[in-house]
Amino acid sequence: MEDAAVSTTARALIEAAQPIHAPPTSFWRRYVFSIDHKVIAKQFLWAGLLFLLVGGTLAMLIRWQWAFPYRPVPLLGRIFFAKSGGVIGPATYQQIFTTHGLIMIFFAVTPVLIGCFGNFLIPLMIGARDMAFPKLNMYSFWTFLLSQLLVLASFLTDLGSGGAGWTTYPPLSTNVGMPGLGQTLIVSAIFVTGISSTMGAINYVTTVIRMRAPGMTYMRLPLSIWGLWLTAILNALFVPVLGMAALLLLLDRNFGTQFFVAGASAVRGGGDPILWQHLFWIFGHPEVYILILPAWGILGDVLPFFARKPHHWYKGTVWAMVIVTVLSAMVYGHHMFMTGMTPLLGEGFMLFTLLISAPSMVVVLNWVLTLWRGSVRWDTPMLFALATMFVFGVGGLTGLFLADISMDLYLHDTMFVVGHFHFTMAAASFIAAMTGIYFWFPKIFGKKLDERLGKAHFWFTFLGITLVFAGQLLAGYAGQQRRLFDPFQYTFIQGLRGLNRWTSFFAFALFAGQFIFVWNFFKTLFGKANPAGENPWGVTTLEWTETVSPPPFHNFEHIPEVVRGPHEFANPEVLRRTGRDYIGQAEQLPDLAGAELAAAKG
Amino acid sequence: MMAPLREHGYGLPRDVSYDGFRIDELIHFTLAAIVVIFVVVAATLIWSFIRYRRDRPALYTHGTRGSISVVLGAVALVLFAIDGNLFVHTLHDMHEYFWNFARAEAAPGAVRIEVTAHQWSWEARYAGPDGKFGTPDDVVTTDDIRVPVGVPVVVQLASTDVIHSMNLPNFRVKQDAVPGTITWLTFRPKVPGEYEIACAQHCGANHYKMRGILAVLPQDQFREWYAAAGADARRAYDPDDSEAHWGWEWRTQP
Repeated sequence: MEDAAVSTTARALIEAAQPIHAPPTSFWRRYVFSIDHKVIAKQFLWAGLLFLLVGGTLAMLIRWQWAFPYRPVPLLGRIFFAKSGGVIGPATYQQIFTTHGLIMIFFAVTPVLIGCFGNFLIPLMIGARDMAFPKLNMYSFWTFLLSQLLVLASFLTDLGSGGAGWTTYPPLSTNVGMPGLGQTLIVSAIFVTGISSTMGAINYVTTVIRMRAPGMTYMRLPLSIWGLWLTAILNALFVPVLGMAALLLLLDRNFGTQFFVAGASAVRGGGDPILWQHLFWIFGHPEVYILILPAWGILGDVLPFFARKPHHWYKGTVWAMVIVTVLSAMVYGHHMFMTGMTPLLGEGFMLFTLLISAPSMVVVLNWVLTLWRGSVRWDTPMLFALATMFVFGVGGLTGLFLADISMDLYLHDTMFVVGHFHFTMAAASFIAAMTGIYFWFPKIFGKKLDERLGKAHFWFTFLGITLVFAGQLLAGYAGQQRRLFDPFQYTFIQGLRGLNRWTSFFAFALFAGQFIFVWNFFKTLFGKANPAGENPWGVTTLEWTETVSPPPFHNFEHIPEVVRGPHEFANPEVLRRTGRDYIGQAEQLPDLAGAELAAAKG
Repeated sequence: MMAPLREHGYGLPRDVSYDGFRIDELIHFTLAAIVVIFVVVAATLIWSFIRYRRDRPALYTHGTRGSISVVLGAVALVLFAIDGNLFVHTLHDMHEYFWNFARAEAAPGAVRIEVTAHQWSWEARYAGPDGKFGTPDDVVTTDDIRVPVGVPVVVQLASTDVIHSMNLPNFRVKQDAVPGTITWLTFRPKVPGEYEIACAQHCGANHYKMRGILAVLPQDQFREWYAAAGADARRAYDPDDSEAHWGWEWRTQP
């Protein structure tokens, strides 16, 4: 368990490789154009949470439409849909669900999970003083902000924002279906955010490979870092594919090329709309794992932290996550089962899709066995972690239906799919992000969020999310299709009015409950109470044990020397020697006092 | 003829096809399987939470050979008993029924229809008495497809503008209509009545209105309608109306 200490010469070299710089003094360098990974993490957090509110509001508009079609939207209607008397029209509706999906995935969950936690945690958890490329990190954020502005600008154009769905399938997303400037801005935003993600990903991958503290071997990395690192690898490999596809689509829209146009709209031959789907989903399916791997990672640390028990079969989870990462690009065809693909190809994708359930099950069962015979602390981060487990479990299990071509003949493009991916990639990644925020808030801001408000927020979120997305699963099971402005045009869906209305009420409660979090966030941030201390949760990883809260500009006074894995809890030897049930990753186990040693010898 | 009926609201809509039960059975099997998995895992956790409270220290283990075997055993069990079962059944059903267009077409009395989807309706074309598509006796309808009960129906799908998806929830089948290519769909209706054709792929602002009616008629009624419609089509044929001549030569399964 214990390593031989690193020699003094080696120590000096390690320190010299990452010298301590004086923090910048000017306001702009310190808070705005900062190259400090912790400040950039906060910038991503603010940008992400703000857009989470935008995306959430759009979701409420969709829910209003399904509960009360053709009725004026209260409060917001008069501001946003004044021309139609507060009522959402079909053309507006398609922009609402398109931008809801895009914003939530690219501009809300991605910046919080990857932009904020990736930036904040990677250097601190591996024992580095900053990212490998601090300036690239800054560029990544400002490019990201540009892409967010492009999305906002799209709402202000004459024909409104993009309306071709977040998947942006051509020919609908070309001038054939969406002639407005809004769609062009949306596709540009995808391209620009792709550049931002690629820059961030290169930085993360390099930092984890090159800048781990001495002793921080791959098999001692906290699972959060494994999740973020694998996500960064997927981002670096597949986001450029999306970016290039978006570029081709922009050429189709604005320069008369025809990469994705076919049929009667095409002049002289044309291209292939299905090509877009291949390019999109070879990114799009890994994207699901891009969002879920950091969530798995956060759970992999928070569950053992609050069960006060080492993670069960750490290596098994690591390899399972690696296998998922590899397989993630080999299953994307299940999004295209209905496009008329060659049966053999479809069956291959089905096989891989079913196989990817095996490593996912290893991850989940390891969580279960981590909790088994643990000594569970029911703090707010733990509640959110357990809820993540629950929603991811439900989402994963419902995925079994959709992996199969024959069940997809019925379920494809229904609300069942919507419920499934909201449980997995929306609910699980959102609640995992909340887990992370409640857990690392003391480290990021130096203060602890209020527990009672946190628990109230938890119940609204957990029950709300479960009921809303269960409602979607039920509606889809009964055949209700997605993306319908007025589902009740169809006789076979008319029996689902009540279900849709109830689901909407739960959604409104879920949305309202989030303001408890907003209140808690600002109250804690600007209030005086709750100074967190160095290690308020009593856990083991470097950011808690080797530095103060919040950490200084250079993170660590001395680069820590890691001597053990990330989850050393409940070790009887540690308890005997320190009186604690945990020991930090870089903490030397103290020798027994002389008397005790003598007693032990007999 | 009755208008499409309302469904119960919850649960699968009525299945009015000969092969839909294959999908329903798989859905019910999967549902049962995931409920069992969910209950076992949830019960394990809840039992652990109640039995081992925070006042006692946690068990110190990083996983033993025994506990890792439990994980691998459970994964193997699910993989073979559930995933394996789904894979084999799906393969069989797709090969024998849902994607076996040659077999459906070879059945005596099988009906062939060409469907062109466009924003926002379904145009259907029958070959007419001469059995050839793109000839003056073709029967052409809009948002109104009629088929006889009991025989396989084979549809070839095309789209002129954007991607659509022909969804027949009561028959448990759907298929995208993609500009530039021709795709296939087959089903075999069992119960006469009117059912809905829905567009399952977002295709623009009025996507929600892209609704058609599929009428399943008793054999004699279908023959009667088909003969009359063929005669009407010949009388109404206009060789100069190129817009109406969108039919293509029937393809054989690749």
